[in-house]
Amino acid sequence: MTTATPLKERFTVPIGPQHPALKEPGHFDFEVEGEVVKSASVRLGYAHRGIEKAVESRNWVQNLYLLERICGICSHIHATAYCLGVEALAGVEVPPRAQAIRTLVAELERIHSHLLWLGVSAHEAGFESLFMYSWRDRETIMDLLEGLTGNRVNYSVNVLGGIKYDLDAEQSEAILQGLQFLEARTHHYLEVVTTDALFLQRTRGIATLTRQQAELMGVLGPTARASNVKRDVRVESPYAGYQQFPLQMVVAEGGDLAARFVVRLNELFESYRLIREILANLPEGELTTRMPRRIIAGETISRVEAPRGELIYFIKSNGSDMPARVKVRTPTIMNMTSVVKLAVGHQLADIPMIVSGIDPCFSCNDRMAVINNQAWDWEQLRQYGIEYYQRQNAE
Amino acid sequence: MMNTELILQTAEQIVSSWDWLTKTNRPEPHRLDVRLTKLSDLVPMIVGLRVKRLGYLGTITGLDHGPENGELEVLYHFFAGQAVITLRVSLPYENPVLPSLCDIIPAAEPYERELSEMFGITLNGLRNPEHLYLPEDWPAGVYPLRQDFDPAVLEIHNKKELPA
Repeated sequence: MTTATPLKERFTVPIGPQHPALKEPGHFDFEVEGEVVKSASVRLGYAHRGIEKAVESRNWVQNLYLLERICGICSHIHATAYCLGVEALAGVEVPPRAQAIRTLVAELERIHSHLLWLGVSAHEAGFESLFMYSWRDRETIMDLLEGLTGNRVNYSVNVLGGIKYDLDAEQSEAILQGLQFLEARTHHYLEVVTTDALFLQRTRGIATLTRQQAELMGVLGPTARASNVKRDVRVESPYAGYQQFPLQMVVAEGGDLAARFVVRLNELFESYRLIREILANLPEGELTTRMPRRIIAGETISRVEAPRGELIYFIKSNGSDMPARVKVRTPTIMNMTSVVKLAVGHQLADIPMIVSGIDPCFSCNDRMAVINNQAWDWEQLRQYGIEYYQRQNAE
Repeated sequence: MMNTELILQTAEQIVSSWDWLTKTNRPEPHRLDVRLTKLSDLVPMIVGLRVKRLGYLGTITGLDHGPENGELEVLYHFFAGQAVITLRVSLPYENPVLPSLCDIIPAAEPYERELSEMFGITLNGLRNPEHLYLPEDWPAGVYPLRQDFDPAVLEIHNKKELPA
């Protein structure tokens, strides 16, 4: 007797657009044969907001706030990339203290982003206690950032030509204490992800990306460094405070998910070390310098290392008070294309881990289109703001 | 590891020799801008840079110089350490066509798809020419990053889609 359906039949499993791995939208189609993924495709753009277009109709200062909101996790690095680019165009020298504090906040942000990722990835692996603990510890950083800037996300540290917030002895003591706690925790997490047998079964040898493949696909950031590709803008082309406070590049050999955990956790130690060094040798001086309202015509490329990899801003000015073009290239777009290649040959159950392994950020990725039909004009927005704060005050 | 100056000098040699016509300049000490006057030079020149291992493709930027100039410009940025090498090609406003780099640089695909849907540039040889960011029902022939893009087009389009 023969079965009516051939065993080799393929099905397409659609995943998303509602949170395929994270609480962000992206759509994947996985063609499976039994449990094994045979081919995959990705569809992006669900968080497309028209930012690159919107930038062209706002002035240089307004854009700082708009671009900072591209991403809720790595907001500071977006603002930094933009500021560094505009300052380079204007030919303005930013005081060293401002550059050092920018770098310090960027590293705090990296710690918060990596801990967030650790939690999400642990959650995808079904390791809920690691998820809960790492997110509890992440609160330390969130509190420090809140103490420093008043905000948990979108810290708004940067202004064109410098920074807004200074650091006093009390705050720097709080940071040092926080780091001491986190360093001990990170040692523990590193031990867990490299020794826990059940967890290693979910990570070791999964989604392995060789060095050649990583270079060919153009993956970036910790995903590339886990495959021993030595690519880190902070080291290759130091910006802001990284010239004064150099960084050691962290790489791993494995190229699999386990290596990505090791690279990100080891990067945390490097961030702790750098923050301590900055705090110990914080240059004295001004926080800002004068910026012209109109930026001289020209083009520049600003490259920085976001928590997920190289972030590129191309900025073009035509001499007015608004940019002619700002092009943003976020790291996730390159890493995302690697996911669909990596998924092939793996069990469907490994997919969430593979997707979260690159630490995708869909908001960064998508940026541009979807135009809201119910756009408010300035007067409506202002009225809403007034009413909102009146309600807040009344409560 | 080559230093920035050496990288830029080598790149300058590659792009200014042979029989292609280029104009190079250094807008910033670590950047080399190469303006190509012939589109057919683009692919062989990029192959030349790749052979010498001069950096990786960072991104592709599209620029619209406005309908009054009738010109689009596409910038290919290559990064090697601190050095930035930018190849610039100009395209006509009507029917702009570029060769796809996917065969030599697979990582160029998302950049090229973005370029094609945002600026309306046809990329010959693009493996997957579908929308990357824009919705499937995006009206044909509307390119949001062009200077003459008018959001009112979408309002009409969206109203049409809604059931009565």
